[in-house]
Amino acid sequence: MPTEKLPEILGYRRPDGHIGIRNHVAIIYTTNCSKVVASSLHDRFPVGTQLFGYPEGCSYRDAPVEKIVAMAQHTSYAAVLVVGLGCEGTDACDLARRIEESGQTAESVTIQREGGDLRTIERGSRILASLLQQASLARREPIPVSDLVVGAECGGSDATSGLVANPLVGRVADRLIDEGGTYMHTEPHELMGCDDVLAARAVDESVARDARAAIEEAERESFEAGLFHIGFGNTEGGLTTIEEKSYGCLAKSGSRPLRGVLRGYGRPPVGGYYLQVAPPGSQTYYGDSEDISQFAACGAHLAFFTTGCGATTGGLLPVIKVMANPGRMDLIRDNVDFDATPITRGERTLDEMADELYAEMIAVAAGKLTKSEIYRHFEA
Amino acid sequence: MTSKCKASSRTAILLDVNDNVATLLEDLAEGGQAVAEIGDATVNVRLREGVCFGHKIAVRPIREGEDVIKYGLPIGKALSDIEAGAWVHVHNCRSARYGFRQEKYGVHA
Repeated sequence: MPTEKLPEILGYRRPDGHIGIRNHVAIIYTTNCSKVVASSLHDRFPVGTQLFGYPEGCSYRDAPVEKIVAMAQHTSYAAVLVVGLGCEGTDACDLARRIEESGQTAESVTIQREGGDLRTIERGSRILASLLQQASLARREPIPVSDLVVGAECGGSDATSGLVANPLVGRVADRLIDEGGTYMHTEPHELMGCDDVLAARAVDESVARDARAAIEEAERESFEAGLFHIGFGNTEGGLTTIEEKSYGCLAKSGSRPLRGVLRGYGRPPVGGYYLQVAPPGSQTYYGDSEDISQFAACGAHLAFFTTGCGATTGGLLPVIKVMANPGRMDLIRDNVDFDATPITRGERTLDEMADELYAEMIAVAAGKLTKSEIYRHFEA
Repeated sequence: MTSKCKASSRTAILLDVNDNVATLLEDLAEGGQAVAEIGDATVNVRLREGVCFGHKIAVRPIREGEDVIKYGLPIGKALSDIEAGAWVHVHNCRSARYGFRQEKYGVHA
């Protein structure tokens, strides 16, 4: 089905001048000790809220807090409520103040100040009700595609990921970037052997050095941990060399110049293709959903997620699941947003289906819910 | 959903116009046709041996020492002359970086 006219991108204009494509309120716990109260509030107000927070107890560490602040300032959030205990290192009131610096609306409640769980839940509920009501007044307005920031992740990969799903997403990336949009992926540890290729795509010598360094670091870590080699299963599946395996992962980056390596947070200043590298120690979750959170902290509005085996996890962003394995597609269709199996079956070409996936991305940006959102796969 | 043309006739995929290998989308026997399209070009190669789904065949002759190209990028060097339609895998293609990695990390990469 060729698309004659693409739907318009519609988004919410935020105080920082950028657009959000969702209009949630975030509930953020500052310590494991306030997670139960924060979760209770989330359970009480499941519609329009998302939950995440600091994954430790009394400690305060800069790296994860910086990520949480950047996530809280994300344009998908109309406002945030920070829930603290009171004696932890990451003070709820301080955190709310830091979040407010972007113009974001941030409130806080502290369990030891309110007087226990029940009173905090009561006061937190009133605040949330007010924030949700305020958020509901926001209206979508037409936005140029160039304002869109998109991430790409692969998980539960198989032979069809590198062969079909990733190259398909890469074609959409090229088109988004040509329209002025911003695109990123991470997983430098899966790019071994791609250093020359990425360096050659860099916009200048300094970006080329950054890209080489990112891959070199990941390579060293992986080899030292004994984590990476091309396995028997890969060889049996048809992969001949490490470069080939890595190129399959890199295929989701498309072909446009590498604009920079993101090692900090906030939206990249100009559009184009970026490699994102999580700051050491910044992780607040595990696995693919952590990468989605990292994209969010870098301003991404939504993410593509290619899978061959059928990874069902999502993340805080709307995730567009793309699958190209016909047998697995029949089995796990309920969790998949975009069926790329006609390419694998030889019925359609990558270029034909890239138009449809691009249209799907625009639709999701305009408000269409993805499966991960409908099922509330907001892992974080 | 059916395509405007040639539905189901493609048995292989090319990822870049410069690729000298295509990857099979189904198991093909010796003498089978690997058909793939990229841009405006169609490649149609007769297999010299049976090759499985996910494995590669040469779409044109590749000389010994020449780069094997997939995704438009060199995935390794040909260890011997490879004829069009022949299976390309670890027996006739090796990572150009293999020695470098082994020397650096002492592991098979």
